[in-house]
Amino acid sequence: MIHQYFEESKSKWLKILIGIGIAFILCFIINISLGSVLIPIKDVFLFISGSETTSESWDLILANFRMPKALTAIFVGSALGVSGLQMQTLFRNPLAGPYILGISSGAGLGVALVIFLGFYFGGFLSVTGIGRSWLLVVSAGLGSFLVLLVIAVVASRIKDSVSLLIIGLMFGTASGALVSILQFFSQAENIQAYVLWSFGNLGSLSWKELGVFIPILGLGLIASILLSKQLNALLLGENYARSLGLNIKRTRLLIIINTSVLAGTVTAFCGPIAFFGVAMPHLTRMLFNTSNHLLLTPVLILFGATLMLLFDAISQLPGFGATLPINAVTSLIGAPFVIYLLIRKKNLGYSFNT
Amino acid sequence: MSLLNTKSLSIGYGKGPESKILQKDINLAINEGEIISLMGQNGVGKTTFIKTLAGLLDPISGSVQYGEQDLSGISSGDLAQKMSLVLTEKPFNFNITPIELISISRHPYSNWIGVLSPRDKEVIEWALNETHLNYIANRKLYELSDGQLQKVMIARALAQETALIILDEPASHLDLNNKIEVMMLLKKIASQGKGILISTHDLQVSTQLSDRLLLFNFNEDTNEGVPEDLILDGTLQKSLYLDQYGYDMISGTINFDQKGPSVSVSGDPETKFWVTMALKRKGYIVKDEKQKVEIICSAKNHFKILQDKKKLEVKSIETLLKNLSSI
Repeated sequence: MIHQYFEESKSKWLKILIGIGIAFILCFIINISLGSVLIPIKDVFLFISGSETTSESWDLILANFRMPKALTAIFVGSALGVSGLQMQTLFRNPLAGPYILGISSGAGLGVALVIFLGFYFGGFLSVTGIGRSWLLVVSAGLGSFLVLLVIAVVASRIKDSVSLLIIGLMFGTASGALVSILQFFSQAENIQAYVLWSFGNLGSLSWKELGVFIPILGLGLIASILLSKQLNALLLGENYARSLGLNIKRTRLLIIINTSVLAGTVTAFCGPIAFFGVAMPHLTRMLFNTSNHLLLTPVLILFGATLMLLFDAISQLPGFGATLPINAVTSLIGAPFVIYLLIRKKNLGYSFNT
Repeated sequence: MSLLNTKSLSIGYGKGPESKILQKDINLAINEGEIISLMGQNGVGKTTFIKTLAGLLDPISGSVQYGEQDLSGISSGDLAQKMSLVLTEKPFNFNITPIELISISRHPYSNWIGVLSPRDKEVIEWALNETHLNYIANRKLYELSDGQLQKVMIARALAQETALIILDEPASHLDLNNKIEVMMLLKKIASQGKGILISTHDLQVSTQLSDRLLLFNFNEDTNEGVPEDLILDGTLQKSLYLDQYGYDMISGTINFDQKGPSVSVSGDPETKFWVTMALKRKGYIVKDEKQKVEIICSAKNHFKILQDKKKLEVKSIETLLKNLSSI
């Protein structure tokens, strides 16, 4: 009986993974085929297969713009989906997401400080090119790392996770307030630079930056698969999890660090991409109907990447020659879909019995 | 050798001068093959005691020992192989199957990513068989009733394969049939050499199933002993404050206020028992010697009422009660 159950479940999930894999490849091809310059699909295939396309400029566009952007989208989608899942399980809260602990607020504060205060030391806007983007990355990274440090210290002191959640929210609010004070005393161009950063952008990473971005997120994603067992134990509630030998404080710290590295890196390089991290876990749980993290985590990594490729392709506005902010696209398309699934399923209660 | 010992254990909440002590000087030993029930009123510290034994709360003073080892020196991973829990709290996520939930209890034995070995699968199947849950093993938790979920949680504890199982009110969501099934199951597990501690409000569980009773009282010392001894010397009734309601320990019934009039009942013992129950509920004083109103139970659906030489025959207890009230 039980062997049959495990066999069936194995073949079912193998099929699901293959299905998403095919969708992933399709979305990848769609993603790199679209853009302000029209490149025929035949040449896209030529490029993928490693040979040269009919035009040198198409080669340059594909190699230096579209490939980095598609790779960015893949890792951003996976990282945000997985860290949202971790936060929702850890805090037993359907509204939790990768930024619930104030990671993006910390990054935002770091960026705001550099943009607004940098103005007084020669001006942020005078820094251009590669130097400017690394400046943003470092300041956002430092900001989220500081928030992570504080949260980690607090997490090792308090017992229940929900208090931690509230403390994270407080950090977010406080740094949001500091950013608005900075904005209040700032000039229009600086505010515009900050707002542009806060829209989120998948297309600004060069191969050099990807050389840092991809290894960090790759390691983070591997770590998230290794944390699946602990996350499953947390599904029973903290008391049961502890009675199964789980060290709650250490597990909580590992999960927080994992999420912060994933979400913090994404925010540092691409700006705060909201919504995706909150909605993806719900979408995946509802579509594939499970909360078992041993299945959910790998599925989310692949499915998050697929959807982010698709959203990014849509943000290219094929035929218009303009690009929408990725934040707007994920929310505009994702929100109605989640609402639809919720109405169809009646409620979330089965996954969040708090 | 005993599986678990508590020595002068005090339990409660908080630390230092602000701590609130619920029970003190608890000395309990749970041996292999023994079922011990823990009883006491709400708020007396039963769940606190269980959490203290499980290492979820620290003792205020005294010690908990598993075998020769003190609880404070046992790593959480080792403890998970010695003791399993069934708590009153529910899992927070219901979007998993009983098999997935029971699989989680193999964590103390599985590798770092939690892949199940053939032996793990055997144990899960055994736990499902023992609890007769095969027919729902494949459903989602949100499709189960409270009683079914309770049995899944018991199966989960079984699959953890520990020498000691601690259950907090395991019978609370179960119907009589399932309660008896769980009682039989616990008895069988105990006979295989495991120690079981049950916190319960159920007198059937505590008196019929348990080898020993541990009673918690407010502001008084704990009592411990064989259930029948504690019933005969009145300790159990006093501890649970049952005597003030006229609770009858032998029949397990409550005596409601009885104002009369007096009636006598005779006839077939089983029918007589239930007629007496119905009369007591309605406030009649039931006596064995002849009264002015006599009821004779001639069969399960045939009753005679005798009063002042008048005779009335009825076919159900319902009409019997109706006719009595008109007298």
